[in-house]
Amino acid sequence: MIASLFSRFTVATLAAGAMLFAVNGASAQGRGPAASLNDIEKPGYTPTPDEERLTGPWAKQVVYFRTTEEPGTIIVHTSERHLYLVMGNGRAMRYGIGVGREGFQWAGLLKITRKQEWPDWRPPPEMIQRQPYLPRFMAGGPGNPMGARALYLGSTIYRIHGTNQPHTIGSAVSSGCFRLVNADVADLYERVPVGTKVIVRHGASL
Amino acid sequence: MIGSFKRLLVGAASLGALALTATGLQAQTFEAVKARSELLCGVSQGLLGFSSADGKGEWSGFDVDFCRAIAAAIFNDPKKVRFVALNAAERFGALRENKIDVLIRNSTWTMSRETELGLAFAGINYHDGQGFLVARKRNLTSVLELDNSKICVQEGTTSADNATDFFRSNDMKFEMVVAKSLEELGKNYDTGKCDTLSSDVSQLYSERLSLTRPDDHVILPDVISKEPLGPVVRANDMKWFTLVKWVNYALINAEELGITGANTEQAKASKKPDVRRFIGADGKFGEPLGLANDWALNAVRAVGNYGEIFERNVGNGSKLAIPRGINQLWNMGGILYAPPIR
Repeated sequence: MIASLFSRFTVATLAAGAMLFAVNGASAQGRGPAASLNDIEKPGYTPTPDEERLTGPWAKQVVYFRTTEEPGTIIVHTSERHLYLVMGNGRAMRYGIGVGREGFQWAGLLKITRKQEWPDWRPPPEMIQRQPYLPRFMAGGPGNPMGARALYLGSTIYRIHGTNQPHTIGSAVSSGCFRLVNADVADLYERVPVGTKVIVRHGASL
Repeated sequence: MIGSFKRLLVGAASLGALALTATGLQAQTFEAVKARSELLCGVSQGLLGFSSADGKGEWSGFDVDFCRAIAAAIFNDPKKVRFVALNAAERFGALRENKIDVLIRNSTWTMSRETELGLAFAGINYHDGQGFLVARKRNLTSVLELDNSKICVQEGTTSADNATDFFRSNDMKFEMVVAKSLEELGKNYDTGKCDTLSSDVSQLYSERLSLTRPDDHVILPDVISKEPLGPVVRANDMKWFTLVKWVNYALINAEELGITGANTEQAKASKKPDVRRFIGADGKFGEPLGLANDWALNAVRAVGNYGEIFERNVGNGSKLAIPRGINQLWNMGGILYAPPIR
């Protein structure tokens, strides 16, 4: 399953002619400079509870949210760095997220096709090439860059997953996945079943 | 032009009639601004995130940026603004008496302010409303869960009346804890004299920052009143009204079109018709207002688009961290909707 996902990953990337895992992911609205490549993946690193405690706009909270989408729908605003779970009655649970770097942002409508606790990690070949010291395989658990939970989106390479690097929440550093802190992704995991509609929105381009 | 402007002023002054002053200057605000090479913008004396001056007298904030956008649209120079700090009581008088050209001071658009004061709101730049601050650990999701609450409010505001109406109409018991000042209001809540603090949402976020542990408190998503804030001009100057209104719309349209403070040069290469009209490449949309045809682009280059102004001053990029909420574009879940430039 994972292997086939990643082979699609490669094909999609080559087709798009995009530079995978390019270093600079600076964003206009992120909370500080983008992490360098070496900051992006730190397998084996286990964040402290203090690091995992988000504040301000990135802390999980119920907010007013106007939508005609059904309760239970996930709406991702990439430019805002927020993921909304529609609750109905004009509100949503809002989570702070890390999003894809410039060039790795996408918009569309997908469904959650699979849920996984403590997912394993197999860095794709492009990533290995740039960071040869990365493990070829890492079993799920604390310290795994995929974090505590993963929600697979359609048959794409994209997922909503956790992270072992909470400081990347609020910035654009990933390769198109949406990352939440582990407590948040576990909370979301409990609230949404397979089949949940996921709408990804980002700003217009010139 | 300047000569006749001065004569009018002198004439009006000798008659001693303020009403005549306003009438005499009809349709002249733009000309006066141009002649002065400076916009006079009425702002709040100090409201975190919306308008405040630093030690050097440099102004910043959400409202301040809207003033700068107007200056940039007219002069292609956002610095050509003189900020006039006004308190709540004097703000509308200052506008009526021509002491300022436009008032951008978190003022709520109401019917009587237009019909009784002879003013006109040139659109809405911030949709505010009265909300409630509560302890995060209570895990509340609705104001309806606040039955049997002590509510902290400030004396002389509409917050107490609105909250009273809301609680009564929902058969909820409550007790008001009234504070004489803003400081006392925050202190009352912080020291546990009440279960919730109620005020306009934008103020709740700044009030929260003054608490001992801001992150232990959240603002509930409900609002129980409508407080649409926007720029205000005199109602007798249609040309000026139109200009101010379209600067506001331009900032919103820019966000919808993906034009930011950083990509104005790339925007010039866009082939999209909406973008080309916006930047002045197609059509002459500035000319009828006496502006350059790239007026809208100049405004965005100076202060960014609506979303950038919001996030920088009051949103994710600020200490306030106010959610966009309904102040989001109409096609992104909010109610910001600007007519097209065409």
